[in-house]
Amino acid sequence: MTREKILEKTKAVIYECVPELEGVEIDENSVVNTDMGMDSMNFILVICKLEALFDVKIPERQWNKLSTLGEVVDAFEKRLKKK
Amino acid sequence: MRFQGFHEMIAYYARVTPDAPALLRPGKEGPEALSYAGLDAALTRRAGELKALNKTCLAVFSDGSEECVLTVLAAPEAGLQTVMLDDSLPDETAAMLLRYTDADCIWSADGEREEELRPFLTGGVIDGAGKILFFTSGTTEQSKAVVLTESSLCSSAWNGGCMLPLAREDTLLCMLPLAHVFGFVCGLLWGLSCGAAVALGRGVRHYGDDCAYYRPTALSAVPLLLGFLVTRRLFNSELRLVLVGAGDCPAQLIQAAEAAGLRVSFGYGLTETSSGVAISTRGDHFAMEICPDDEITLAGDGEILVRAPTCMMQGYYKREADTLAVLRDGVLHTGDLGSFDEDGRLHITGRKKDMLVLPDGTKLFLPEYEAGLAAALGTGELAVFLDKGVPALLLRSESPDEAAVREKIRPLMDAQPRGRQIGHIYFTEKELPRTATGKLRRWEIEKMIKEKEQ
Repeated sequence: MTREKILEKTKAVIYECVPELEGVEIDENSVVNTDMGMDSMNFILVICKLEALFDVKIPERQWNKLSTLGEVVDAFEKRLKKK
Repeated sequence: MRFQGFHEMIAYYARVTPDAPALLRPGKEGPEALSYAGLDAALTRRAGELKALNKTCLAVFSDGSEECVLTVLAAPEAGLQTVMLDDSLPDETAAMLLRYTDADCIWSADGEREEELRPFLTGGVIDGAGKILFFTSGTTEQSKAVVLTESSLCSSAWNGGCMLPLAREDTLLCMLPLAHVFGFVCGLLWGLSCGAAVALGRGVRHYGDDCAYYRPTALSAVPLLLGFLVTRRLFNSELRLVLVGAGDCPAQLIQAAEAAGLRVSFGYGLTETSSGVAISTRGDHFAMEICPDDEITLAGDGEILVRAPTCMMQGYYKREADTLAVLRDGVLHTGDLGSFDEDGRLHITGRKKDMLVLPDGTKLFLPEYEAGLAAALGTGELAVFLDKGVPALLLRSESPDEAAVREKIRPLMDAQPRGRQIGHIYFTEKELPRTATGKLRRWEIEKMIKEKEQ
């Protein structure tokens, strides 16, 4: 899967899980925290949905290091390449 | 029943109700039960295996699994000091905590991780048998390990059972991390000490469907988890009781849970007292009755003072001065402020310490946290405060550059659990308000932010 595709799917999941973001443009530099309406429970939800969607797992101890949307995409891209 | 040890507790129910389910864990076709008799036998085996290691201090990377629970419950019988660590800790933090706690062996479900951390093990301890170490707040570099024992933890569970008894037919769902004392006592021991079944939650990935999977009748939750379950209506129809603790809980959240037909109790306690010392059992949720083994008084300035002979910590691990600062003559100076109502029930009114209590129940000690940020940013003109349940940063700067600030604090943030990372960053050109001795006037800062937002 291409990086663009992963980014597109990740954004779709974020918009689905955080309805407050409707109409707000997010890009790879967007910080995925409360500033964009995503508390830690929402973040768990997003990661779990992405794991199910891409059929890969990101170890929980790496979750803290995922600050931006770009880093979330990087993490899934790396795992998908290993698959 | 009052118990002094974990295995003693399980052995009692193995005699009285041998076939009753003690633990429920995921199976191939739904939850599977391990009976009290089965758990008793498994603990005997595991204690023997741990003893055969010939080690002194076991660090447990707790993932809430059956294997993890067996190991933790058997470790004191094997003469080990146990260190409870969260499985999601970053490796660098885990390595530092292994050294601090003198761990000489590791339990982790992840064999690879065990290997990676092996170089950080130490020579062990001499007098650690039976001690169980829990970390206050979020296991940062400055966190302190609180020395508890099986006896203090069992007493705390007994306290909980007296205030909120569970029937043997009940199923308590254990969703919270066992490395947090509230999760360990109120998610696990509370159920076992009442002879009920404890359903072992399947981790954060199943927060959304564990209630439907296990069909519990009781649940312990931190406010953040309660909010997640309430807003998404994830409760099962059999659930009747929710114990909320480890942080301030918005009244609307409790009302929403009650509207869903649940009985909600709110608890107040600290890691230092092996979890709860006061629990609301009727009427006003924030009016809490004192647990039978505990005695609470108020200092002249309203600080809550706790005497809990059976549940009190032995002290902070290798931090004698820190222990003496809060525990004197058997009385714990909590740093929390409270009052009593006409019925003698306790109300929490605020915090005396420079400390934030986050929605997930962990505590953030502001002077240490702010010192870390100041070192990273090269300026002490900053303050951290709680903004919509998340730490926010106020920074004095004449040329605000949020991206640059985030880059500089990034290593510090990466080492923090997610809920403790800085959310919003505010900038001000004004000098931050301080007292004559240089301490931040935090209430004025909150006022400044409110004015900025208007």
